[in-house]
Amino acid sequence: MAATITSKVQEDVWIPTCCGQCYCMCGIRVHRQNGVVTEIEGNPEAPTGRGKICVKGLAGTHLLYDPYRVNYPLKRTNPQKGLGVDPKFVRITWEEALDTIVKKLEACKEKDSRGAYFQATTTAASEIRYAVTAFNKAFGTPNYWVSGGGLHCGNGAHFMNGIMHVSWSIIPDFAHCNLPLNFGCSKGHGAGHTAVQNAIQAADARARGARTITFDPMQSPQASKAHEWVPIRVGTDGALALGFVNVFLNELGVWDDEYLKYKTNAPYLIRPSDGRYMRDKATNKPQVWDLVDKCPRVHNDPLVTRVQYEDQAHDVALLGTYEVDGVKCRPAFELLKEHVKKYSPEYVEEVTWIPAATIRRLGKEIAECAEIGATVTIQTEQGPKKIPKRPIAAHFFRGSQGHVNSGWTCLSIDMINHILGAADTYGAAMGLGAEVTDGYKPTGKPYQIPYPDEDGLLVAKAWVYDHVPYPLRVPKQPTRLDLHDMFPTSIYNAFTITSPHWFEILDQFKINYRPDVMINFGSNSVMTMGNAEIVTENFLKKFNFIFSFQLYVSEFEEAVADIVLPDACYLERYTPAVSFPSTFSHPQGEDDWGWTIRQPAIEPMYERRDFNVVLMEICKRLGILPKYFKALNDMTVMRYGGPFSPENKLCEDGSVEHTWPDVVDRLLKDRFGPEHGLEYVRKKGVFTWPKRKEDVYWKWFNPSRVPVYFEYFIDAGEQISKLCEQYDPQKKYIDLNWSVFKALADWYPCPTHSKEKPEYDMNAFYWRPVTQTNSMTQQNPYLDEITSEDPNIYGIQMHQKTAEEKGIKDGDYVWLENTDGKRVKGWVSLSEGMEPHHVAIAAIGGHWGEYMPIAKGKGTFFNDLVMMDAAHTDPLTLGQDICVRVKIYKA
Amino acid sequence: MTRYGMVIDLKRCYGCYSCVMACKQANRTPPGVFWSRVLRGEMGVYPNSVRQALPVLCNQCAEPDCMKVCPTGATYQTDEGIVRVDKNKCIGCKYCMMACPYGARYSVPEYKSYFPEGLPVSDYEKHCMQVWEEKRGCGVATKCDFCIDRRAEGREPACNQACPAKARVFGDLDDPESEVSYLIKTKRGFVLRPEVGTEPKVYYLPPR
Repeated sequence: MAATITSKVQEDVWIPTCCGQCYCMCGIRVHRQNGVVTEIEGNPEAPTGRGKICVKGLAGTHLLYDPYRVNYPLKRTNPQKGLGVDPKFVRITWEEALDTIVKKLEACKEKDSRGAYFQATTTAASEIRYAVTAFNKAFGTPNYWVSGGGLHCGNGAHFMNGIMHVSWSIIPDFAHCNLPLNFGCSKGHGAGHTAVQNAIQAADARARGARTITFDPMQSPQASKAHEWVPIRVGTDGALALGFVNVFLNELGVWDDEYLKYKTNAPYLIRPSDGRYMRDKATNKPQVWDLVDKCPRVHNDPLVTRVQYEDQAHDVALLGTYEVDGVKCRPAFELLKEHVKKYSPEYVEEVTWIPAATIRRLGKEIAECAEIGATVTIQTEQGPKKIPKRPIAAHFFRGSQGHVNSGWTCLSIDMINHILGAADTYGAAMGLGAEVTDGYKPTGKPYQIPYPDEDGLLVAKAWVYDHVPYPLRVPKQPTRLDLHDMFPTSIYNAFTITSPHWFEILDQFKINYRPDVMINFGSNSVMTMGNAEIVTENFLKKFNFIFSFQLYVSEFEEAVADIVLPDACYLERYTPAVSFPSTFSHPQGEDDWGWTIRQPAIEPMYERRDFNVVLMEICKRLGILPKYFKALNDMTVMRYGGPFSPENKLCEDGSVEHTWPDVVDRLLKDRFGPEHGLEYVRKKGVFTWPKRKEDVYWKWFNPSRVPVYFEYFIDAGEQISKLCEQYDPQKKYIDLNWSVFKALADWYPCPTHSKEKPEYDMNAFYWRPVTQTNSMTQQNPYLDEITSEDPNIYGIQMHQKTAEEKGIKDGDYVWLENTDGKRVKGWVSLSEGMEPHHVAIAAIGGHWGEYMPIAKGKGTFFNDLVMMDAAHTDPLTLGQDICVRVKIYKA
Repeated sequence: MTRYGMVIDLKRCYGCYSCVMACKQANRTPPGVFWSRVLRGEMGVYPNSVRQALPVLCNQCAEPDCMKVCPTGATYQTDEGIVRVDKNKCIGCKYCMMACPYGARYSVPEYKSYFPEGLPVSDYEKHCMQVWEEKRGCGVATKCDFCIDRRAEGREPACNQACPAKARVFGDLDDPESEVSYLIKTKRGFVLRPEVGTEPKVYYLPPR
């Protein structure tokens, strides 16, 4: 609709921009009338959402105008910190706030700049991967993390999706998938990445007649839409997935021969002595066995390579024993096939509580539905091309990955896809996001086509953070406060920084500096990581000074912040790119590429200031602005698909002081040409260009393979354990089971599955409802009112019969107590839609802070039950176990 | 003649509440008022139980009980079959609310802020209160009117436009060629509580 401004006071405009209520960042249009934002709706121009947004996005006006927003800088006057302590905040000027902050940062820099620690929220996904990381580089600290959300959702999932799909997440090709298999997530049903677009696609799939199966202890929104809900014991998804793989390989004898031979390392020959690849002596490349010429060949020898589906190549061995250089070796596939035999349906039944007969029945159905051998012809730039059609997709997210078996569980579920050839092709499990594109034609940017490394495995061209999924970094002597340098397979970890012995660990690992200044951006980590007292006492209180860019005074600010800066919300700021790179916000499918920007729908109100602008001001006062611009330049390469052209590059010598909108403008002009800068893109809020079919279904257009045999994990495990032992020979501080670093997927039990303390007889977990994001949206009164309409969100869901046995009635207040004696309170919502041994809690509820009164007391604070020690940490990815064994009793 | 109705496809709907929120925003409804609502129910016994979301709104009945009981004629039907309330005629007796078999009518004594009392009311809420006062009012019956004012501006009903599942179709039931007519005919369209005989114009398609 055209903007109409009849006079200065009669304003009626629609501003196309981008949502910020969660990390999906759908395109929105904001209605401003006479200076007041009166309405928000989806932006039909944006592929992310295509005019649709969720309940949270629609409720954004109440975030903008909430009288509880922080509108002025605040200073803590009570030197005491901790939970329940009144911070006695007083209003100060921006000048005083910035002056104090800069002095603290200067002192920190003088002592050791690494004492600065950036903590940020996942909701501000685009800011954390650009401005936050650039600041760290300019200031000189390697220490940052994305508080709770990062650990809870991503360590296993994102790492493994990166290895297997060069993507942050995977999702069925809903447009053509006939059998989506949902493991512990609500993707396509209100949660997960690009939630709205996935919901549209999933609804279309249902209408088309796709059959869906959901494995979940709770009848989640996704399970309630599925044709079959299969209740599963929490934390056992990996065992189920390996059970299916066993049924395919050893009971049905079904696998996608072509896919495994030419698109994975399944045919790579493995030497029996140490499980490593049998490498060619001349080139050091892994080898496969050529069944035509009966000889070994390096993996990318054209004779045994098929890049495109219609390419011809010699057949290669997946089974058998072959002699190479006097060594009898076997293809990786055969080892995998033998390895999964132990996951018999009977064993899997014991672990998952799903009947063996159901596992066999579903295994057969999945295998049949994959239509192995079927092809379709798609139109590519090189004309029509045949590709495999594999209309099944197993996908997963936080529910299945939030366990001590996180990494292998994710891989095991995805293995269903790879055994059946159902990956990144028509109808299959797809990498979500903008991971594969050759860019906008006139500029060739963003260029993000993945490529194979020397071993033939898939390497991402663009990645959101510095921790690329593959190839792994070599573990190094730690320099970071969370020892991250030592752990190349992890994104973040909590078990080091929340340990009661954190500083002793630092001593032990020869880290000679200490946390000093924490910069917090939008995170309420007191509530989003785990037990609040542990997080506050062991971690947050170790900082000498904490300042926070925040929308509200959350429990975090109340407990530990020294200064609170009133941040502009997403409706009051610029963000240069939200749908790139390959993360949360670009929908899968054949629709256009869309580069969405955020622009202010209204100038920041009161004394709120945009985080990006303030961060630049801090850099300026610290004298590191040129370094900051250099860091932005450097990061643009990996984040946004290629380096800046010289004419658009940000000034690194200090002679030009760019404004934040100027940074946005330059990035746009650089990606899309001089005529497509900010002034152009702001008209629609998004720049779109056509997506090539070969970028959607890229598998059979790319020369890379993916691993089904993780040979390089063996090396990584040896290196990490050696390094740990070097510093901590007694395993006093780091005692993790490094034997999980091996080549083949396995399932490991969680602490929840222990038989000790049988009185703790219920398994608790949390889930993400459509009406809330992390913890902040709980303060939105529209969302609070709508959440209250749902019987399952604020309550603790529990099975009717179980409750009866325990003398608990619907609506009763109960305590849930974990085996460490930590307990949380809430009211019970009885249901038939729960596996009887589980209780489910939604979102991050149970706020207690005084400055978010709408949120206060609503729902249950599940994370208080979550322990962050080594016993609850996945050794492979350092992901956190977030299922909890509890006993339940009346309050 | 045009006779507006709506079809809600329960197979597509996943109960996400976007319709509820879009309605609240578009119509500036105060706390507690849900012209568009999602009800939730559970059927069957574990493990064969099913949770079902049911979006509801005023059915714009052809034979509306609410209109029959209105003592002042404030409730009326437009030529297009939409049931409306003339706020100037409404005396706030709430007979219509009692009579409506679908609980689709709401009345509030005052427009309370969504935030705790004693705080300055935001510009957005002031705007909402102003629109409410102009168009609806406190102390009188209010209800969904298929977004008559939005449609006059060429926009879809808010709940329709927002629905991420594309579960809602709005159109002319008298036009045999319309999508709503087609869906009702071919996909087993049904109405809620047909036995009360008010001839609802909101149809549902079965969830499975």
